[in-house]
Amino acid sequence: MRGTRNALASLVAIFAASALAFWLGGYATDVYRKMLIWVALALSYNFLFGIAGQVTFSHFAFAGIGAYAIVILAHKLALPFAVAFILAIVLCAVLAFIVALPSTRLEGFYLALATLAFSQLVLVVISEGGDLTGGTGGIANYRLPSVLGYAIRGPWYTILLVLLVAFTLWTLRRLDDSVFGRACRAIRDNSVAAAAMGVDVRRIKVLAFTLTSTLAGLAGIAYAYIDNVINPPVFGLENIFLLLFMIIIGGAGSHIGAIVGAVFLYLAPFVLEPIVGHGFLLVFGVLVVLTILFQPSGLAGLLNRRSVRVAT
Amino acid sequence: MSIGGLTKHFGGLIAVEDLGLDLFPGEILALIGPNGAGKTTTFNLIAGVFRPTAGSIALGGARIEGLPVHRIAAMGLMRTFQHNMPFAGMSLTDNILVGCHTHCRGSLFDILLGRRGFRDQEAAARHRAAELVSFVGLQDCLDRDVATLSFGEGRLLELARALAGEPRVILLDEPAAGLTQPEMARLGAAIRDIAARGIAVLLIEHDMHFLLPLAQRIIVMNFGRKIAEGAPDEIVRDPDVIEAYLGEAVGGVAMRPSDA
Repeated sequence: MRGTRNALASLVAIFAASALAFWLGGYATDVYRKMLIWVALALSYNFLFGIAGQVTFSHFAFAGIGAYAIVILAHKLALPFAVAFILAIVLCAVLAFIVALPSTRLEGFYLALATLAFSQLVLVVISEGGDLTGGTGGIANYRLPSVLGYAIRGPWYTILLVLLVAFTLWTLRRLDDSVFGRACRAIRDNSVAAAAMGVDVRRIKVLAFTLTSTLAGLAGIAYAYIDNVINPPVFGLENIFLLLFMIIIGGAGSHIGAIVGAVFLYLAPFVLEPIVGHGFLLVFGVLVVLTILFQPSGLAGLLNRRSVRVAT
Repeated sequence: MSIGGLTKHFGGLIAVEDLGLDLFPGEILALIGPNGAGKTTTFNLIAGVFRPTAGSIALGGARIEGLPVHRIAAMGLMRTFQHNMPFAGMSLTDNILVGCHTHCRGSLFDILLGRRGFRDQEAAARHRAAELVSFVGLQDCLDRDVATLSFGEGRLLELARALAGEPRVILLDEPAAGLTQPEMARLGAAIRDIAARGIAVLLIEHDMHFLLPLAQRIIVMNFGRKIAEGAPDEIVRDPDVIEAYLGEAVGGVAMRPSDA
């Protein structure tokens, strides 16, 4: 009964988010699409940071690997799109696995440093990649090829992004509600006790990192066809901090929190910038500090409290 | 479980020296001794936290010394900790379900596709967790934040979590420390019940009033060595044990040691 109701609510949400695509104008469509990418990235980063407890700075690097891989494979090397797509996903997964093997032996600050170093390395490679990556200017002038004769353009591409978010959320919730999600949270809360309960701490950590990084790569692939331009700065450090802020303000460990945090922080500058200019970053900083001090469960915690009050 | 010649040196410090011990299904065996005698180190050696310098540990015929902690747990050895270690960000039921971890086997694809066998495992684990909540008497705490449980309630949660793994051997590190009298009575009954199910119980305890009626056999350690082994009534009369640990024994009833 509850399952049916959830499924129905999900369908309504997907339908509403898709219907919006037909109604929005050109500029608003661009904003909406990028917001959906942020939501997808926030969801997977929330699983890694908020649920599995791994403080990493490589999430955008994997989005970048996905984006560059698809464009290089499908357009520079002119492989069939389906092949390029699968290869790009596999590349993300394999690289994530290789990074995870040594770095999940680290914890806290050291894990953050190791993934930061990897992130910088990726940035250097795509900036200095010559013709293959287009250097600092990136790559432009490519188009998503038609699939089985259908060209996915305009609102239909936006709907594809809605489905990407839905797929990401479905995957992560399913894992979260299982023995895997419980093992992740147990490691986050107390890895010594988790091991004593039979949890293979390293294996779960490697799986969580590889899986969420691959989902980031998938979001990166989708991002590559929004403007049909990719360049290095998008995958740099400024955005990874913004992603971290989204999770903290939204409520670390909560899927709804990740969505709300991403929507809120992505849209906030459009409201704040005319008033305070680039000072909105300062506003974000203050918000993060206030959240950590006074509302550690973030916006999701506020929503929960409201619903509990309604229920009683 | 059978231990022989177990030795652990930390640099020049001898923590445990040539310890031998046999533990049978359904038995309650206690490890006592002054602070620093090597009791918790022994637990950590058995559970795989430390690798022994020498000696062997066998669980149901299979050697386990030197294996990683999670492998030993999966082989049926679960434990509680001297200081409560709940998963503070998780619900009480989820805490216990982590204890069922090794009984939920499946790949990530099984989870994502919701395969039949996997769903059945999950349902069985939830059923078991619910049973254990009532077994330790925490049904009134189900909706509470685990971090707000009292020390005694936290103790019972640790016990339920360890039992969730359906262990063959359970190690309890000072289970009664910090408990009120009624909580202690409840815990004592629970431990007897666990042993009656055929689980071997090895516990460290300082509270002799709690321990003496409970344990079937006691091993006394001092400076890393076993100095005595026997039934409770033999142990309390053993002059070496009285000198090393129990202090004054009046009419066969041991006084509570001052360091407990």
